[in-house]
Amino acid sequence: MGKRLGILFTMVVVICLSLTMSTFGAEKEVAYLSLADYTGPIAGLNVPADMGLEDFIKEVNAKGGVDGVKIKFIGIDTRYDVARAVSAYKRYRRTPRLLMVNSISTGIGKAVARLIERDKKAQLVPGDGEFQAHIGRTFLWGPAYQDAFAATLDWIMDDWKKKGKSGTPVVGYLSWDNPYGREHLRGGKEYAEKLGIKFLPPEFFPPGTLKHDVYLTRLAKAGADYIHAGGVDPTPTNVIRDGHALGLTKTIQFTTDYWGPTALGIGVHAEALEGTVITSFYERGEDARNNPFVTDQWKKYRGSMDKFNEVYGMGMSWGMTYVAGLKKALKTTGYDNLKANHMYKAYQELTGLKKHDIQGPCAYSPKSRLGSKVVKIYRVKDGKIVPITGWREVPNAVGLHTF
Amino acid sequence: MRPCGVFDKSYALDIAIIRTWQHWAVLISALVFLYLFPLFGSYYLISFINLLCISIIVVLGLQIVSGFCGQISFGQAAFMAVGAYTSSILTIRYGISFWLALPLSGIMAGAVGIIGGAPSLRIKGMYLAMATIAIHFVVIWVILHMEITGSFKGLYPMPPSIGGFEFDTDERMFYIIVSVVIIMTYAARNLMRSKVGRAFVAIRDNDLAGEVMGVNLYYYKLLAFFISCFYAGVAGSLWAHLITVVNAEQFTLLHALEYVGMLIIGGMGSIPGVFFGVLFIRILNELVMFTSPALAKALPWMGSSPAASLGLIAFGLAMAVFLIFEPRGLAHRWEIFKSSYRLYPFAH
Amino acid sequence: MIEFLQHSITGLMTGSLYALVAAGIVLVYKSTHVVSLAHGQLVAFGALFFWFFLGGLGLPFWAGLIPAFVLTALLGLAIERVALRPLIGQPLLAAFLMTFALFIALEGVFVLYLKGETRTLPHFLPQGNLHVAGISVPINQLIGFCVALLLFGLLSLIFKHTKLGLGMRATAEDHRLAQSTGIVVKTIFSYIWILSGIVAAVAGIATANVMDIYYMLPYIGINGLIVAICGGLDSLAGALIVGLLLGVVENVGAAYLDPLVGGGIKDVAGYAVLLLVLLIRPYGLFGLVKIERI
Repeated sequence: MGKRLGILFTMVVVICLSLTMSTFGAEKEVAYLSLADYTGPIAGLNVPADMGLEDFIKEVNAKGGVDGVKIKFIGIDTRYDVARAVSAYKRYRRTPRLLMVNSISTGIGKAVARLIERDKKAQLVPGDGEFQAHIGRTFLWGPAYQDAFAATLDWIMDDWKKKGKSGTPVVGYLSWDNPYGREHLRGGKEYAEKLGIKFLPPEFFPPGTLKHDVYLTRLAKAGADYIHAGGVDPTPTNVIRDGHALGLTKTIQFTTDYWGPTALGIGVHAEALEGTVITSFYERGEDARNNPFVTDQWKKYRGSMDKFNEVYGMGMSWGMTYVAGLKKALKTTGYDNLKANHMYKAYQELTGLKKHDIQGPCAYSPKSRLGSKVVKIYRVKDGKIVPITGWREVPNAVGLHTF
Repeated sequence: MRPCGVFDKSYALDIAIIRTWQHWAVLISALVFLYLFPLFGSYYLISFINLLCISIIVVLGLQIVSGFCGQISFGQAAFMAVGAYTSSILTIRYGISFWLALPLSGIMAGAVGIIGGAPSLRIKGMYLAMATIAIHFVVIWVILHMEITGSFKGLYPMPPSIGGFEFDTDERMFYIIVSVVIIMTYAARNLMRSKVGRAFVAIRDNDLAGEVMGVNLYYYKLLAFFISCFYAGVAGSLWAHLITVVNAEQFTLLHALEYVGMLIIGGMGSIPGVFFGVLFIRILNELVMFTSPALAKALPWMGSSPAASLGLIAFGLAMAVFLIFEPRGLAHRWEIFKSSYRLYPFAH
Repeated sequence: MIEFLQHSITGLMTGSLYALVAAGIVLVYKSTHVVSLAHGQLVAFGALFFWFFLGGLGLPFWAGLIPAFVLTALLGLAIERVALRPLIGQPLLAAFLMTFALFIALEGVFVLYLKGETRTLPHFLPQGNLHVAGISVPINQLIGFCVALLLFGLLSLIFKHTKLGLGMRATAEDHRLAQSTGIVVKTIFSYIWILSGIVAAVAGIATANVMDIYYMLPYIGINGLIVAICGGLDSLAGALIVGLLLGVVENVGAAYLDPLVGGGIKDVAGYAVLLLVLLIRPYGLFGLVKIERI
């Protein structure tokens, strides 16, 4: 028995090694490392987003790459685990021409940011305002969480006035009991005070909570006119479902941030989610489905539009930024001397880069780490996500908080 | 079993851990190799060994409480968190040097471990295991909801330094971590040969008989928890200053389960088993993690994420297959191998 | 008062789900003395199979239910036959670890199929709320609650009044003794895992009724484990009572304690209760007290 086991094990090792060896190539190549959670709690966000990026890179490479340089996509599954991510980063740190590391999850982003600074590389993270407050080598995908939340608060004020109500709106907030869930308030809370909004004590619950009735009834009892449901989908969907079952959706307007419900989830819970407002820095719902640039690529690589997820488009926008940055970096140094530091500098010069309207114009600059400064407000109407505003500038909520 | 032709001619030889000159030669050359490793080893290998060594310290502690004393603990990740946070708080908030904070964080984790080990006075077996899982969640929750731990923001400890020399790279930390591992292994190996170690084994094998023989159960059970958590705390401190970011999300129940997995695969009640177990799981983990991008490239229709979930399946299955074919752990295999080469050229 | 009652009722509904999950764990422990961590995955797969027939293939409710039961039961049987039977005679910790390995492997399969997406069951139960004296209860959850109670009744009937149940009880008492009276212990193990699979499918469907099918679903197994241990690992009644209690404690705790400590009580409520119970009554509230000194 032992012998057979040994042979089996050796075979596995040999296969693994040969697979690893096969990845070495002689072409001109630059690398993009994605430290993503493919099999963990935020896989629903990571998988389609990286799909979009991977397909985009395939498309670029098929057309001969960027000035003859091909892009290599390395996707590592971190399972939301910091130790794994750090280990993976260290493994790929010395990859020739590793120009960008995308770290998905607040904890991982913070841990890798340290190493990135030391190695003079560049990093992308979702939306922690901390990286805008302390300018470094870490770039955000879009506006910071707190900025986007402030934009939601702006919309709430508009809506309140439009409804012709007097006094100030009362806003409740509930989200995951983890760093991501609390990030919005670092700055968001100060902005609410500035607007004169009555901000209720925030509610936090563990990811994977079955029912959110307690939190919702408490907020409703405190007189909330608006409730902002945080967390990465399906959490906001489930929160609003619970709110609907409690009959709160009639009197309270629910809002979510850009990880709110996607068209896939809304199809099933159309009734409960009706009227929900989503603040997003990338195109969602009908907008994304009508963007030929996105849908063409999806149809080419993924087939039918039934399972189309808007986050796919967001992944493509990372690719566009990367390609534009690479072009700039190649122009300044050429391929042979290309280092991540050049990419870091190139990214700062991308101000105003257009991304086929998937996302607002790029806002990276020496003083800004924001991927874009505009959001669109969407609303669920008849089971579809439709825009109710054009691109709107986000307020600077990061600046209101001392980090 | 002694190798052929080796006899204990004196008491000193009888109690020696290292008996023959071949042993000494292997040991010394291995140590020299280890300490020279950063000069020629690849950066990735060095950082891998660093993480490996930290896990080894944690599992050594687990071996003492579970393997030797028979009290199964799933709280090791939480106690590691206590160590990491203590060390960070001491160095950041109170300006205490890392060299003092390292043992202090071990002691702090040990103190929390005594509280955590208290249920062992009433319960054992799977019930105790579940109690330690509960302790894990309570400890993490408390850490998250306290002000001094930086709550959800976490802490940013600095790398250790001595006289202006900063241990700020993996190569430099390697020396500290490897030295600590060597000391801790030596201590664990010797502890098991002492009165305390024998008391632990007595509790594991038959607690009633142990008590009759004069082993104070309460004292020794709590002592086992203290030592085990001391190890975890020291590992946590090293982790904190290696990664330089401490966050409660770094210490999850899955880690604790993984540590127990390393223990079982390595073999309960054996110090070399700890090394085998940690190596096996860590290498399996790395293989799975790094072959999935290659797999995604080899099978482009599949994409990155399904390749990652295949890795998960492979990990689970490898562990399952291992448990079926070698439930007594790699240390058992190692013993079989050792006795066969020692007997060579004879068959029995 | 009304508010307190409302929170308690909501907690009871959630608690019935915990109890259902715990029931499967108790069944397995009772006869095989294996604490199964993989049970959460069985629950998730039960829900996923049901979704596959109902939402994926568009079959009617009953036509979806039966194959979901059969498939989950087969999965349970496969776990017993392939993974756990070779470990008979090995330390129980090895078996526990095996269920952990299975948890990871099955999680991989789960994620491989879902690809990070969410699946939602179509509404197969009447929607809407029932209002009684100022308290509102969602009808679909009330049905789930009743099903849970029925299932526990059914299980205790099986245990008390069938030959199979008698065999299971005998096996739970002592493997060797049972063997010597002509009960084939290994076959009983298989039956138990099949039964546990069916119970898991019920739990999965009831849970997916409240929560979408996604990555977090298998982790309800941890709550089930807490309940099973608090109730005493070998007591079905304990699982039911403690399950309901835990739901209430979590919910009421979140309602009245959260504002005092800054949130997140639901995270630890269960574990705090578990610790307390273990310290006061080591074999769980309703477990069989073994006369053994520690």
